[in-house]
Amino acid sequence: MLLNSKLSSRRRPERWPYLFIVPMLVTLALIFFYPLVTVIRDSFYGGSVGGLSYVGTANYVSLFHDPIFIHAFVNNLKLLLTVPVTTVIALAAALILFENIRGWRIYRVILFLPYIIPATVVGLSFSYLLQGNGILNTMLRKLGLNFAVFDWIGSTSISIYSIGAVIIWAQLGFGVVVLTASLLSLPNEVSEAAVVDGATRWQKHRYVIIPQIRETIQFLMVLEAITALAWVFPYVYTLTKGGPANSSMVMDLYIWQYGFGLGAIGLAAAAAVYLLLLSSILIFIYSRLRRKQTSS
Amino acid sequence: MIFSSFKRASLTAVLSASVLIVLAACGSNSSPTAQKTVDPYTGKLVYWFWAESDVPGSTAWMQAAIKRYEALHPAISIQLVPQGSDTLQGAFETTAQSKSGPDIAMQWATLPVLTPVWRGQVASLKGLVSSTEMANWLNTSENVSNGEVWAMPLYLLGQPFVWNKALFQQAGLDPNKGPSTWAEFLADCAKLKAAGITPITMGDKDGFFGSWFQGTVGTQNLNSVKDLQDLYAGTAKFTDPKYSGYLTLLAELKNKGYINSDVSSIDLTQGWQTFAQGKGAMTWTTDGNVASWIKAGMGSKLGVQSVPKVGTGTLSTFYTATQSISAFVTSWSTQKEAAGAFLTWIHQPENLTSWYNATKAFPADKRFDSKLITDPIMKQLYALDTLPNQLWAENYAPPQVDSQGLQVAGQAILSGSSTPTQAAAAVQRVIDQWRTQQPADWKNYKTWAGL
Amino acid sequence: MQKWGAALYRHGFLVFLAIASIYPVWFILQTSLKTNQQYLLDPLGIPLHPIFGNFSTTFSAFPVARWTLNSVIVSVFSVLGATLIALLASYAMVFGKMRGVQVLLNTNIALMVIPPVTLLIPMFILMVDLHLINTLLSVIIFYTGLFVPFSVFFLVNFMRSVPYELIEAAKIDGLSPFAILRRIVVPLSSAALFTLMLVNIIYAWNELLVALVFLQQQNSRTLMAGLALFQGRYSTNQPLVMAGAFVSVLPVLLLYIFGQRFFVKGMMAGIGK
Repeated sequence: MLLNSKLSSRRRPERWPYLFIVPMLVTLALIFFYPLVTVIRDSFYGGSVGGLSYVGTANYVSLFHDPIFIHAFVNNLKLLLTVPVTTVIALAAALILFENIRGWRIYRVILFLPYIIPATVVGLSFSYLLQGNGILNTMLRKLGLNFAVFDWIGSTSISIYSIGAVIIWAQLGFGVVVLTASLLSLPNEVSEAAVVDGATRWQKHRYVIIPQIRETIQFLMVLEAITALAWVFPYVYTLTKGGPANSSMVMDLYIWQYGFGLGAIGLAAAAAVYLLLLSSILIFIYSRLRRKQTSS
Repeated sequence: MIFSSFKRASLTAVLSASVLIVLAACGSNSSPTAQKTVDPYTGKLVYWFWAESDVPGSTAWMQAAIKRYEALHPAISIQLVPQGSDTLQGAFETTAQSKSGPDIAMQWATLPVLTPVWRGQVASLKGLVSSTEMANWLNTSENVSNGEVWAMPLYLLGQPFVWNKALFQQAGLDPNKGPSTWAEFLADCAKLKAAGITPITMGDKDGFFGSWFQGTVGTQNLNSVKDLQDLYAGTAKFTDPKYSGYLTLLAELKNKGYINSDVSSIDLTQGWQTFAQGKGAMTWTTDGNVASWIKAGMGSKLGVQSVPKVGTGTLSTFYTATQSISAFVTSWSTQKEAAGAFLTWIHQPENLTSWYNATKAFPADKRFDSKLITDPIMKQLYALDTLPNQLWAENYAPPQVDSQGLQVAGQAILSGSSTPTQAAAAVQRVIDQWRTQQPADWKNYKTWAGL
Repeated sequence: MQKWGAALYRHGFLVFLAIASIYPVWFILQTSLKTNQQYLLDPLGIPLHPIFGNFSTTFSAFPVARWTLNSVIVSVFSVLGATLIALLASYAMVFGKMRGVQVLLNTNIALMVIPPVTLLIPMFILMVDLHLINTLLSVIIFYTGLFVPFSVFFLVNFMRSVPYELIEAAKIDGLSPFAILRRIVVPLSSAALFTLMLVNIIYAWNELLVALVFLQQQNSRTLMAGLALFQGRYSTNQPLVMAGAFVSVLPVLLLYIFGQRFFVKGMMAGIGK
């Protein structure tokens, strides 16, 4: 990575960069900072629309003791488990495609489809797949695999994992395309050299190829983690609506339910602040890890 | 930030301007202003409409009705904006925050209507609709606060208990006799199960069945609406068996295998479709579904009645019916008289007839000619819907308690993740939470209920 | 022999993923080709006598053409806007000598984690105050803002791989920063820019929540929001609902199928180092 600012020893102050970032700053101020300030302010108010009253930190305390909110928080953390799973599967698929098997271009086209399908369509079709007597269970029963039949979205203990599976499905294609692109841009000498040296395929992958695309993998994992924390609402909403019995509740759905559905915007705002805190902590950890990496 | 000062500086102008501009954006030529003598047949109205989910075809009918109205009164134009079920309450609350939006809005009866009323978001109908007119409306008691009626009903929605006569016969039960007591109900379920038929088929993924079960079965040891009001806003506790006993009954049905095994993963509509496919013998449904099943040829197989009797309170003799959705005029509307005139016109006899013929849903008006109903089962349903003793208990629950409490309890029982005791305690916790989080709404509820 | 076995596993794995990927499109298509009666009788089977009535109903009952146009306008303009803003900013952050680049970058990454639902209500009130509610502009502005953090993150990542020598040479030649951007950086980044825009267009097209809340009037709705109205609480005609769902997926699907060559090239250039 080139460190431009360190190259020139004569540090002539330039003004144009500051001008160029103005549109970005204005946009961010309007779309993010202004609403965030409002949200933080709202979080200290209770009641709902038309009847708001100042309650100090009561919302934060209430959420801290609300078993549903805590459950949502834990669920979001559980969804983070999808990150390594998605990455590993995408990597496996990308490596296979990389080896130029027949029809790999077609596979890649098809595997990207889930990414472009809107969440409502995903929710509709997967509901039919995952219902108690849906397509998946019917097939499993036909194949005699009754032990594998579960109530995927109707059981409180596994509903969140089913949602995790759908998220993996939706994100997989993006990962495959990104990783394939990265692999294809590697210089050929790298993989050829390993073959000459007599390495097995697995060794070749592990020690030669994967480290080369490490940064891409990290980039991908960051995006997937961000999705799992903050962009799962459409999937949860259409698949289970957070149920049954709030077992698959996640934080952004909680915010929607209380803020938009019930008008308790103060409580929803406090929940949003908690979500932002969690995300900030994770980003902080990530940037620390990156700094350690680039310096080592 | 800059916008805060912008808001503060020009709030009044912006608020009235935004209403005008929202209306003007529809491309109208007239510019509505506050007038001294108001002509109720001039101007532009925006009507946020919801009924399609209850009554398929209602949106098309309303659109056609509006065209007829506009032909009668060329100086008025009405824009119909259909609302989605999932955003019905949220969209209204969001628009209410900025005190702008539709002239006529709709919300489900009682609490969802009265909450905006208490928040000052609804205009009084006095002076907008004559009292002689309103006297013809049915079920107006569902939207009364401070001695006046605040919203208009459109149709009646009953919640009949339905059974499949052919499947009853197959199990050796009398096809013409539905279970009238809980003991009979359990006995019928046992016989059906023994014959390899799923006794009850419902869908609870969306949670509504939990509220419905509470409303039809769970209120049978109560004596009046006052008991419900006392529960939500007074001193009664949900953990008292007269309120939460029904959870044990629901658990019993589930544990004995009388309910379809995928109940927690299919939604209400799909559960009904399963019944229509003949895969279950009994279900709770709405008038509209019965009508469409008759249309699909199932008429001879359907038996309808009120839910089996299991309690001893006065409410155990009540039928579950409501106006479902109610229309009201918003407090910020600048076209209140025009809105009132339109609402009055919708209830004129010729429109009632036209509505029934198009949708087969029963109009909520005394002037409806019930001789238009020809099908024997629909006649039965109409008789049930117009019984003097009715209650749709869900209407009396604050929306938060309904969705977070009653519906969640139903799902917890049906998915086997809570015992009835645990579920009851959870509902009480939600009631307490609502009171803490929404003290203004609780206070209004108490005043309204006379507690 | 061993090679055959291994190849089988590899193909099997990919075929499994492929089937899983196609499933939703296939399912909604097959359901939309049934009448409601057929569907009630057999929800999961293949329609033996496909009908197209649901599609014609979808188009005749709702202003689908108008909605599609709205979706196109909203997607195109918001993506163009965000890309332009991000392009200027990331160019400045990577090639400009300025302070606070890391702070700006970290801020953008942090903002990527904010779910739109948290911003919804304040933004709605803001749009009402600016008289923009029910206009496509309100949604365009919101989407543009939502896309900027990711776009900046993406472009900064890419631009850091552009050889500085090229920039330096151009500076020595006396080109202004804007000219360098226009004549050198943009052509080099064209594939990455294309990728970025495609990813954002997909999001804008599929977005439902904001469109549903900001655009209430029948004619100003986007395709997704309009069709969502009829997936209601007791919606009884699933094949019709599915026909609508298929129609909503079709434009992006076609765009992808015919444009995927360019897209892949773009991804390769944008992500590969």
